[in-house]
Amino acid sequence: MTNLSPLTGSADEGAPLAGPDPDPSPGRRPRASGMRALVPTWSPKLATGLVLVLGIGLFGLFGPMLVGDPNAIDSMGMTSPSGDFWLGTTQTGQDVFAQLAHATRGSLQIGLLVGVLATLLSAVFGIIGGYVGGAIDEGFSLFSNVMLVIPGLPLVIVIAGFVPVQDRGWWTIGLVLAITSWAASARVLRAQTLSLRNRDYVAAARVAGEKRWRVVSVEILPNLLPLLASQFVFAIIAGILAEAGLSFLGLGASGSQTLGTMLYFAQNGFALQNEAWWWFVPPGAVIALFGCGLALINFSIDEIINPKLRVPKPPKGDAAEAIEVAVAPVPIEGAAAEAPAAPGVVRVEKRRDAVLTVKDLNVVYRTAQPVHAVKDVSITLGRGEILGLAGESGSGKTTLAYAINRLHRPPAEVASGSVTFHDRDGGDLDLLTLGDEELRRFRWAKLSMVFQGAMNSLNPVITINEQLDDVLTTHRPDMPRAERRARCEEVLHLVGVDPARLGSFPHELSGGMRQRVMIAMAMLLDPQVMIMDEPTTALDVVVQRGILREIIRLRDELGFAVVFITHDLPMLLELSDRIAVMRAGEIVEYAEADQIYDNPTHPYTRQLLESFPSLTGERGAFIRTGERTPR
Amino acid sequence: MTALEVRDLVKDYPIRSGLRRSTLRAVDHVSFTLTPGRTVALVGESGSGKSTVAKMIARLERPTGGEIVALKDDGTPVSDREYRDHVQMVFQDPFASLNPFHTIEHHLARPLRLHGRAKGADDTRRQVEQLLERVNLTPADTMAPRRPHELSGGQRQRVAIARALAPGAQVVVADEPVSMLDVSIRLGVLNLLARLQREDDLAVLYITHDLATARHFSDDILVMYRGHVVERGPADDVILHPRHSYTKLLAAAAPNPDERGRSLAESPGAISQEDLTRTYDHYAGEWRPFGKAAPIAKALADPAGTRRG
Repeated sequence: MTNLSPLTGSADEGAPLAGPDPDPSPGRRPRASGMRALVPTWSPKLATGLVLVLGIGLFGLFGPMLVGDPNAIDSMGMTSPSGDFWLGTTQTGQDVFAQLAHATRGSLQIGLLVGVLATLLSAVFGIIGGYVGGAIDEGFSLFSNVMLVIPGLPLVIVIAGFVPVQDRGWWTIGLVLAITSWAASARVLRAQTLSLRNRDYVAAARVAGEKRWRVVSVEILPNLLPLLASQFVFAIIAGILAEAGLSFLGLGASGSQTLGTMLYFAQNGFALQNEAWWWFVPPGAVIALFGCGLALINFSIDEIINPKLRVPKPPKGDAAEAIEVAVAPVPIEGAAAEAPAAPGVVRVEKRRDAVLTVKDLNVVYRTAQPVHAVKDVSITLGRGEILGLAGESGSGKTTLAYAINRLHRPPAEVASGSVTFHDRDGGDLDLLTLGDEELRRFRWAKLSMVFQGAMNSLNPVITINEQLDDVLTTHRPDMPRAERRARCEEVLHLVGVDPARLGSFPHELSGGMRQRVMIAMAMLLDPQVMIMDEPTTALDVVVQRGILREIIRLRDELGFAVVFITHDLPMLLELSDRIAVMRAGEIVEYAEADQIYDNPTHPYTRQLLESFPSLTGERGAFIRTGERTPR
Repeated sequence: MTALEVRDLVKDYPIRSGLRRSTLRAVDHVSFTLTPGRTVALVGESGSGKSTVAKMIARLERPTGGEIVALKDDGTPVSDREYRDHVQMVFQDPFASLNPFHTIEHHLARPLRLHGRAKGADDTRRQVEQLLERVNLTPADTMAPRRPHELSGGQRQRVAIARALAPGAQVVVADEPVSMLDVSIRLGVLNLLARLQREDDLAVLYITHDLATARHFSDDILVMYRGHVVERGPADDVILHPRHSYTKLLAAAAPNPDERGRSLAESPGAISQEDLTRTYDHYAGEWRPFGKAAPIAKALADPAGTRRG
């Protein structure tokens, strides 16, 4: 009975709230150890939450020792707060402050009991069911579902009504509340366990020969800790609130003192009518503040589970300065001497009528440490040209594509440079200064995109026809229905999908077919530029070849230009007219495909080329003779 | 000498569509042997059943039919209890195959302890560091306490390879070990695997869809299509002189800058009718009928997809 602070309780759970003094900056330490990875990031929310919860917890823990007897009756009833009675007295002259201290302890006690029991129950049913699967899972799942549909509070009222008053201790109420509140958490845990169970590291542990209980407790459970902690905190709030509700209705534990019973007596003592605010406001405020504190802590735990919730700090005034520092040229070994980029760019500039010009584009992710993702990139896309953009992960190629189309989102920001679109009908558009409405009309109609893994971005519940039609109704509202239908059939025909498949749902098509549908969708409005970001990476080579063939044929027939982004340099060598090789945000080499293959000037280009062993050529010296690039 | 023998392996998956139940045969009578010091590549597209074969060898899936027998150096079969000491697996995605919660040391120490190769804390630590040094993750004492998210993809895959070696495995199944890595570090990881193979005389099953690395990295190649092995032989023979029309199709579809300028508009070809029931064996130099295995269904024989309705 000495340990009532929920914070200490959660530390016993092994939850992320590892102690009352979390490291203020765990994120900055690259080599954080142990549970440190699970400690929430320090934030004003967390601080406020901890202060509220700790304060109320300590009040509940030590308050009762410092105050007088809460039940001592005095002839002075209903006095307002004074030096003798900090929070005044009740109708029968009891000290409200003393009552509040004891009631806080009582409520926390019940909240903690409910939290621990409900979390244990949900963990047992959710995790074990989810991992073991089969009949046990079905059984556990059925049981949780039944528990879930039983309305909690009415059941508690019924049970509380059946249990004789003298047997109705605080733990009875806690037990009943726990039993009626674990099921929802169990379902969430089960879903998460099902997902974790299929991870490769669990398979790897099985291959290593780990026993089942160890796989669950050592490999799976730690990854569920943030979720468990958040459920634990939520169960405490729910427990305290439900108990307060019950006690207020007079169905609480007998002889117990909780915030709910205080409110019950205040109600019966006509505190409201007598305007004795000091009697009912304090218990209400304690409940509200404690719930608020736990909710704030829960926000911080949620950020561990879902890092996307972490909002980057807005850039300060010195951001521009930081960029200046980052823009400082990063030397690449041997680049300066061997790869004078400018002449190549000038040479190709005049060859074709340009459709898109990107000049000195800089894109920066304004995070705590700004990342300069695209550095001084200048490319010119000729009309009807296929431009290959080659680079590895983190080279900035996708960021560049998004920035061209203004699809980048904060914290990414275009720091400087220009993107100009040269319309077929004459007239140049500065894409970086277009208004929202102009941009909406421009996108897809003049410049469309096929995204990475695009075949999975079709909406599974509506037909191909509706999805294609949707684009037309948005951009060409005046187009009659029959014409729209004809256009949809036409584009499908163009990419080599039977127009009869218009009525199909995405899952009825193979991966290659879906990817073709996505390309058809990108072609629907007859764009002048298509940006394709790894459009074939998820596909088999035979299917990939079919799609590449289609792209080249359509380019020849329709004359649109393509920016083709991929890490697969051999594929680009076959496909593109020109290739830009990107590394660390910079274009290190930009030349004709033949030039890149026969006479690469930049060391990185050579390294990339060597990374692809030739299918039919000589065995490279590097294969099976030792490590050439020990990295 | 044989390290692992696979005989007539069959795997059926039940399919439920509405009330109808049927089975899909993912692997249909596949047989091969792995030899110490040699690499066999299992090549095929997604859905060809190559990963299912890997999972069955790693005992993550139970075969519907057929046998997988691991053999010790003296030719006696490995018992069920020792199987996991003998056969280990490297997974495709190093971002998924290491537990984000645990340190690198944990990932290596557990198999060492489980298989009784290390006794006591000091011995375990020493062996973990040895393993890390073998896969070029140095300095080992600063690598061991790190967590997976602090490592690059290539470094993670090295840890995964070290984990497979920890129990003293003689057979390593590498399921697309480099396909998730950046291209410039792929060869480094493959070369590492090749060096470890030489040092420990490992039998390696290399599963991939990349014909070029399969050719250079392995001694023998089996081409799988729809659960069947349709062609087998020495690596160069299979890639440079393919006989089965599916292998030809694959080879023609793979990007190959050496043949830059070949018209992309050309059709990569199709699978001939008679090849749906036979397999080519380069060792014997002859065609063989599928025998016990069912013919490949006609509807599936056009992987390039019909271009016009």
